[in-house]
Amino acid sequence: MRRLLAAAIVALAALILPSRHRDWGRAMIAELGTIERPGAALAFALGCLAGALRQAPSLHPLQSDREGLSAMDQQSRNPRRLAALCAIGATGLGLFYLAAAGAPLSSLAVNAAALAIGLLAVGVAAEAGKLWRIGGGAVAVALACPILLTALFGISAGGVTRWLSAGGILVQPGLVLVPVIALGFARSRGAGPLLAVLIAALALALQPDRAMAGALAAAMAALALARPERTALVALGAALAAFAATLARADASPAMPFVDQVLYSSFGVHPLAGLAVLAGAALMLVPAIAGCVRDPDNRPSYAVFGAVWLAVILAAALGNYPTPLVGYGGSAILGYLLSLLGLPARPAILSVGSGGAATQSVAEEPQPKLRAGLTLVG
Amino acid sequence: MVRNRTLSSSARTILAIMVDAGNGWLHGYDLYRQSGVKSGTLYPLLIRLEEQGYLEAEWQAPAEPGRPPRHAYRLTAAGRSLARANPPLDEGTAARGARERPA
Repeated sequence: MRRLLAAAIVALAALILPSRHRDWGRAMIAELGTIERPGAALAFALGCLAGALRQAPSLHPLQSDREGLSAMDQQSRNPRRLAALCAIGATGLGLFYLAAAGAPLSSLAVNAAALAIGLLAVGVAAEAGKLWRIGGGAVAVALACPILLTALFGISAGGVTRWLSAGGILVQPGLVLVPVIALGFARSRGAGPLLAVLIAALALALQPDRAMAGALAAAMAALALARPERTALVALGAALAAFAATLARADASPAMPFVDQVLYSSFGVHPLAGLAVLAGAALMLVPAIAGCVRDPDNRPSYAVFGAVWLAVILAAALGNYPTPLVGYGGSAILGYLLSLLGLPARPAILSVGSGGAATQSVAEEPQPKLRAGLTLVG
Repeated sequence: MVRNRTLSSSARTILAIMVDAGNGWLHGYDLYRQSGVKSGTLYPLLIRLEEQGYLEAEWQAPAEPGRPPRHAYRLTAAGRSLARANPPLDEGTAARGARERPA
């Protein structure tokens, strides 16, 4: 556990460092691998993080002037980078909670693996193609289809159908893809992204998934307030109708350990675990708040990002729905990381021109696994 | 430019260890263990020394298969001069320095 934590901390340190010091981040990671004792590795990692924080200019409280930003400042003010850091921080706090709560080691591994896969996917998508520029409409519709397919052919438990199995891993496509679809629509007003929202709304009503339908409705409401256009109002109407449909249908899924009700139960584990969970949940909203303050020109995107994740957190607080990032389940981690692709690559001012027993088999205990969002099977 | 009068005790210790290593390459964890300087101080110091031309760094192939390459460091000629001009502070000097600091 301490070694895993050390690796996560050094990875965070490497990410914080300015891009011109990337080799030094890799050097820290390589050195960590040579340290035998977990305690020494953790001490080394914490030191690296402290050093990296001193190297990151945007984290210095005295450097807030927007004028005359250096290239290093611009790099560290990247909203996507900030969101990735928040994802790492929130997932790390969640790992702390899971370890303190005595969750199976496999559940920690699933969350850590989801974080690594998500970061890799984001890196590949950002480098390889500027996802939202390559035929954004077609991509958005393609992203919505798995949610609909899940509603029609997915795995059911407790009267709801929200999961797909992919190579022995159960994924909740709605939790992975709804945030990215909402962000895509906020960035593009085209027919394709609107169609994607309509398909997602229909699928969530069919599943039913009250949490994600509520998140989609919250996102569309935020967008309609920030940009009251006809397409935004159409999307809001569809999302509200889907949410109303989910409210009308029964959802009696039981709470699963380490997945649902984490916001409350974590304080029963230890006050520090509870604080870690709350801090992790709050951290998820930092990119939206910082973006709205720093970058008014792109406020609709930040508002949608904040609304969708605030709604997911509230759903976890109010009902038996997965607690994102800080609870057990990789779908929310993947969804959060993918949704950061919908944020601006940089602020407009800097732009050119402007839960549960995861390792048991499904056959032994199917429903608990389905509640975890993304879990190992077998 | 690293000015002599501003060189910290940690910087002097690191420079001394690297001078002792001669032309040999040292890794970050070697320096961390030998100097007792925390990694949060060590890496920013190495970064600064490298940027100012006192240190050269290279990636070295791993000694064991399956391990990642390691970043290795040694002083340049300028770095060796800097180290000789700034030997480690003896305990008395360090203590005087500490007393002279404002509380």
